[in-house]
Amino acid sequence: MNQIKYGFSSMLFLFAVICFAQEAEEPEKEREPGHLNQSKFRQMYDELSTPNTYRSASGAPGPDYYQQQADYNMDITLDDKNVKLYGEETITYYNNSPDDLEFLWVQLDQNVRAKDSKSPLRNGNGVDIAYTAGNFTQTYVTEPFDGGFNIDWVKDASGQPLSYTINQTMMRINIPQPLKSGENISFSIKWWYNINDRPNDGGRSGYEYYPEDGNRDYTIAQFFPRMAVYSDVEGWQNHQFWGNGEFALTFGNYNVNITVPADHIVDATGVLQNRKEVYTKDMMKRYEAAKKSYDKPVIIVTQEEATAKESSFAEKTKTWKFRTEAGAPVRDFAFATSRKYIMDAQAVKMGNRDVMAVSLYPKEGNPLWEEYSTKAVVQTLQTYSKFTFDYPYNKAISVSAKSIGMEYPMICFNFGRPNADGTVSDRTKFGMISVIIHEVGHNYFPMIVNSDERQWGWMDEGLDTFMQYLTEQEFGENFPDAVAPNEKYPSRRGDPSKIVPYMAGDQESISPIMSNPENVYQLGPNAYSKPATALNILRETVMGRDLFDHAFKTYAQRWMFKHPTPEDFFRTMEDASAVDLDWYWRSWFYTTDYVDIGVKGVKKYYVSNKVTKEMQEYMDARGITEADLPPLVYLASEDSENFDENLKGKAPTEVSQNLNEYMMDNMTAEERSQVEEPKYFYEITFDKPGGIPMPLIVEYTYADGTKENVTYPPEIWRKNDSEVSRVISSQKELVGIVVDPQQETADIDTTNNAWPKKEEKSDFDKFKEQVKG
Amino acid sequence: MRKSLVFLVVLPLLAFSIGHKFYVTVTNVNYSDKDDAFQVTTRIFIDDFEEVLKERYGIDAYLATDKESAIADEYIEKYLRTKFLVHLNGEQATYNFIGKKYDDDVVICYIEIPDVGLETLKTMEFDNEILTDLFDEQKNIVHVKWNGNKRSFVMIKSNAKGMLNF
Repeated sequence: MNQIKYGFSSMLFLFAVICFAQEAEEPEKEREPGHLNQSKFRQMYDELSTPNTYRSASGAPGPDYYQQQADYNMDITLDDKNVKLYGEETITYYNNSPDDLEFLWVQLDQNVRAKDSKSPLRNGNGVDIAYTAGNFTQTYVTEPFDGGFNIDWVKDASGQPLSYTINQTMMRINIPQPLKSGENISFSIKWWYNINDRPNDGGRSGYEYYPEDGNRDYTIAQFFPRMAVYSDVEGWQNHQFWGNGEFALTFGNYNVNITVPADHIVDATGVLQNRKEVYTKDMMKRYEAAKKSYDKPVIIVTQEEATAKESSFAEKTKTWKFRTEAGAPVRDFAFATSRKYIMDAQAVKMGNRDVMAVSLYPKEGNPLWEEYSTKAVVQTLQTYSKFTFDYPYNKAISVSAKSIGMEYPMICFNFGRPNADGTVSDRTKFGMISVIIHEVGHNYFPMIVNSDERQWGWMDEGLDTFMQYLTEQEFGENFPDAVAPNEKYPSRRGDPSKIVPYMAGDQESISPIMSNPENVYQLGPNAYSKPATALNILRETVMGRDLFDHAFKTYAQRWMFKHPTPEDFFRTMEDASAVDLDWYWRSWFYTTDYVDIGVKGVKKYYVSNKVTKEMQEYMDARGITEADLPPLVYLASEDSENFDENLKGKAPTEVSQNLNEYMMDNMTAEERSQVEEPKYFYEITFDKPGGIPMPLIVEYTYADGTKENVTYPPEIWRKNDSEVSRVISSQKELVGIVVDPQQETADIDTTNNAWPKKEEKSDFDKFKEQVKG
Repeated sequence: MRKSLVFLVVLPLLAFSIGHKFYVTVTNVNYSDKDDAFQVTTRIFIDDFEEVLKERYGIDAYLATDKESAIADEYIEKYLRTKFLVHLNGEQATYNFIGKKYDDDVVICYIEIPDVGLETLKTMEFDNEILTDLFDEQKNIVHVKWNGNKRSFVMIKSNAKGMLNF
């Protein structure tokens, strides 16, 4: 069979030569200027920085990779009556960098809500047509809320005052002597601030007030002065906190005492050190039972117990002590506290360890929370760990918080409340399960695989939203009753078709993924859904699951408890898979290009014995005749002079004597008898109005109803980015072509995807007909 | 003093780590040669729409649930007719509200502007104030397509008009 292939392919080769000759005869164009390498498949030497000994070309940490360490000892006191938070902290900072540091930068994120914060001033606005009286009052009449840090003092290890300078959300500690490479320094800060009303004033941290019973719950985060990151990439990452760009933080160990009213339930980052002191006997008993309950949560604080405490307003306080474990450093610390909290927990096997999945929620969260929260936490730990590494911390807590979703190490705050009458819409239910999966998932990205959120929002949000999609789908498989009547979990993000409206949108309001989160127009699609979809398409369509999953896991494990950059991710994905992805990263992550590939036209050809017009011209131009050339086979297009109806349906050897002789000379009778000669030849032209090169996925349908699927690699576009042709030979007549039949590439315009062109009814017409019934 | 408005309005959006963080509707207006009509689809976040129905008309719409209010459609139409106006050659066009359907967290409203008379059409003007009565930072995007031409508008509260010359 090899020979016959040789025969036909050499025939096609000649055909190609003729095409080439034709082009050469075109009149000469005016000379065009030169240009730089514009190939979409060129390597990303211009976009990526040169690898070095800190970060290797493979995408792994280099031999000189370093990161700083910041350990915290903190005493925190909540003043529930006056809604203030007080803290005293000692930071021990280890300079593991090769540089001597003349000063240190500490982040004061809470200053974003200081009275004189510049954050609200950075957006332009105009006079509105009208104002509500309330809005007008807040805008022009009353004083703004002051939620910024009050720094009482900063002292060195010997108790002497240290000089400091505050620039908005950053504080420079003016140490008297540079902190030399390899040395460490301890210093202390005393501070307090007014806690904000989170649902009304906004923000990621704050309290929610319950007017019915006069209680608050507190979900408290970025509440203490935190060390900025010093790295080989940014030096000091002291880009101000404006609100969108989240956090860049140093890993370290935490030892935190939190003093709250004695009737509060607290949970926080770290391991609770004095459980017996702060839990009741009943709670202890139930907690011990929860540690052995692998299949369902055990209620540790019941709804009745929590409700009974709502009017107690304890005057006394209790101190809850939390400590992080050696070998499992964290980059941040957050906590939740309220007397309203109901609590449940379940154990999850993680290798040879057990992890606790915990939920905290007020009665306003039930019946939704007791049913789904811990279940979603468990699923997240299982799925994410499978794709990355075993969850290294002792617990993962999901805390109910109205209208936000926000993540911190081991603890996250999630929305989703039933209606007042206890009913729950599917939207609320799936919204809550999704947000819990997303926020618990953030433990992996960026809490452990610790990218710089201040600079690259997509690195944690995009990877996490991608993993969230995989987890939601597994949740749907594991709990079919929970997702019924849907057949699978209704994921909002991840499916290629869902990103089409964004990518097809107005270019003026789209930014490349590789943009700082403060400067994008639509943060949701930009940092979450587009990168998540890009990774999903990469996994399903470009790399395949095996290669992708191995590379993705390699990235997660290489950068576990470290600070990766986008380049480390891009490089690792190639390094571990041998798939050249520069074209993919460039077009999906560095541009606002979109995918649009279609079938432009189909030309039918038949084998002919006659010299084609083009070949005749080719020979005339060179003064040669057919006799000067080896035996040739011709393909006549249906619209050419050489075509006649008799050629249709004939075997090539019947028509072309040259071919017949060649086969007789080169093949045995037996080989010839096994040959099934193609009778139909088609030259199909595909065009690509979209900027992104993608695999060309084609479904060919033949007259007998059979289908053939061919995927041409994306490199098919490497020499012509707008149009490419392929020749198909077949024994059967070709009756249909569909590009991207499963809609897996996020093609923004599918009206050009089929031949013959289908008169597709618009979505509008379909809906109209359906309504009219 | 002006800062507190932006403060109050912008920060709640930033808090979302998931969910839609931006207030935006997308309206596609496509000319159908076959029907000589503009086919309009408007995509609005369900929770935003519920909120405006509640605030403006006092209706608990429970959109996309089993308990969806029987009068929800009536008020959705009423709201659109107040906040989404189209003028053809300077005259307000009457349009048909065909219905609505849901797509995840978005409600898609279908509107048809019949008898356009594209040949004699000189101007088309949009007033799109959807949800601007509720959210100061609401953005309404309108994409118009006719006979292979395209135009897009981004409408905001203080500038809710878009004008198209044919």
